[in-house]
Amino acid sequence: MATIQASPGEPELYAAHKKIYPREVSGYFSRLRTVSLLALLGIYYVTPLLQWDGRQAILFDLPARKFYLFGLTLWPQDFIYLAALLILAGLALFFFTALLGRVWCGYACPQTVWTEAYLWMERKIEGNRGRRMKLDKAPYSAAKIRIKVLKHAVWIAFSLWTGFTFVAYFTPIDVLASELLSFNLGPWETFWILFYSFATYGNAGFMREQVCKYMCPYARFQSAMFDSDTLIVAYHPERGEPRGSRRRGVDPAEAGLGDCIDCNVCVQVCPTGIDIRDGLQYECIACSLCIDGCNEIMDKMSYPRDLIRYTTENSALGKRQHILRPRIIVYACILLLLCGLLVGHISQRVALDLDVIRDRNTLYRETRDGLIENVYTLKILNMDSRTHRYRLWAEGVDGLKLVVDEPDILVHAGTVQQLVVRLQADEQNLEARSVPVSFHLQAEDSNHLKAVEEARFVGPGKS
Amino acid sequence: MDSIPPEEIPCAQQAIAVLWPSFIVAIVASGVFFSAFNPRDLIPYNLDIEISPLAAYSIGFFLFWLLALLSSLGTMYFTISNCRFLRKQGN
Repeated sequence: MATIQASPGEPELYAAHKKIYPREVSGYFSRLRTVSLLALLGIYYVTPLLQWDGRQAILFDLPARKFYLFGLTLWPQDFIYLAALLILAGLALFFFTALLGRVWCGYACPQTVWTEAYLWMERKIEGNRGRRMKLDKAPYSAAKIRIKVLKHAVWIAFSLWTGFTFVAYFTPIDVLASELLSFNLGPWETFWILFYSFATYGNAGFMREQVCKYMCPYARFQSAMFDSDTLIVAYHPERGEPRGSRRRGVDPAEAGLGDCIDCNVCVQVCPTGIDIRDGLQYECIACSLCIDGCNEIMDKMSYPRDLIRYTTENSALGKRQHILRPRIIVYACILLLLCGLLVGHISQRVALDLDVIRDRNTLYRETRDGLIENVYTLKILNMDSRTHRYRLWAEGVDGLKLVVDEPDILVHAGTVQQLVVRLQADEQNLEARSVPVSFHLQAEDSNHLKAVEEARFVGPGKS
Repeated sequence: MDSIPPEEIPCAQQAIAVLWPSFIVAIVASGVFFSAFNPRDLIPYNLDIEISPLAAYSIGFFLFWLLALLSSLGTMYFTISNCRFLRKQGN
């Protein structure tokens, strides 16, 4: 039976939210993190500006039902590639989680990236941790209102830019910008810009660590990928305990203390507000800021660094560490196999599709020369990014003749062309009432671009 | 998580528990559905509706969200009203 009341010692999952004021910190990992966050933000905001072959390099053109990824154009029938890409991303997450723990959460997750960006703006406007806490506690005054209004104005402006960039992945950014500047944005584009801006503003400005704690599915199941050799951020209790404050210069051994001076810096810098000294917790996003915070203190105390450090369960217990272990090898093999399949498949992908529809009104007709004639409608889909001229022929019956009215089969990049063609055959060569024939289409400037489509040729049959 | 009485879960968190999973499901559903069907082909030919593709996709997305939301709402309703906690209290 489930317990009815949460026992007092248990952490309450849905406790009333206490606002967290992460303290600023500098150090190796925080610099590494800043580099990663800036790079990811840069990729997000710059990508829609990139051009390729006279169009936006990455564009999910929904109205035209085409996805452009640099030189590659994906059509709805290529949806399988996107699905495969998502599965790959999921597997990569498994692999890196098993190897490096929650490196995704700490360094790359959009929730982390935008939260840090918003926190940075908050720090620039409201000041450091102490000042922010004081400001929130202070009664409303003209100065407080001015600071708060400024902060939200900056946040909202950044959110709107983020929302605009998001929609620019679906509507070309130059079109979107000129529509915006002439106050001519479509209603749905306006809606999605505002929707995404609002989500960014809410998630990065207010929800922050609560998204990780309550809404993120990955945070709930990531422990399934963990083993004793997974990289974690951990406190060294044997070295640190018993913790306690002391004056500088006091020998901890004499005072009966460990290296932890109980300064609480590790708790103050934590963006999810936990105490890493309590052990591995699912709220820990492995951002490693507590490592930097603690190292700063250790340096000040002239103690060795790494009281809080990156380690693994095995190495913390003094056991042998294994980087290559069955779990890692299996994840890596599946990942490599799928990657290979996807790359192989995409490189083998023929950017040409041929569809043949037999004329349904007449089964066949006889020409003036006494030949049996069937009419077909061909749909030629050129999925390539260049225009091609094609050669068309048909096989299947001796002496089969293909009659095309148009002299040239020219299909522009990314378009469908309909073509009505006729096949003529001598009745003597028809083995049955209905015989299979095949249409062959081949680009004149590329051996790779060819398509074959089967069809039926109907005649009077042998009497 | 079953140690928390349902009526102690704040409204906002209940709303997120319903809105958020259905939002993710709606994204997946719209992706699969619209890669198979072009919204232009879905409007019956005797209906004269002028609708932009973006509007069609957006409305489709919200319909999926609504459907998934109803399902999540059902789950929430049944787990809360049938949960062992309430039965034990004799409600």
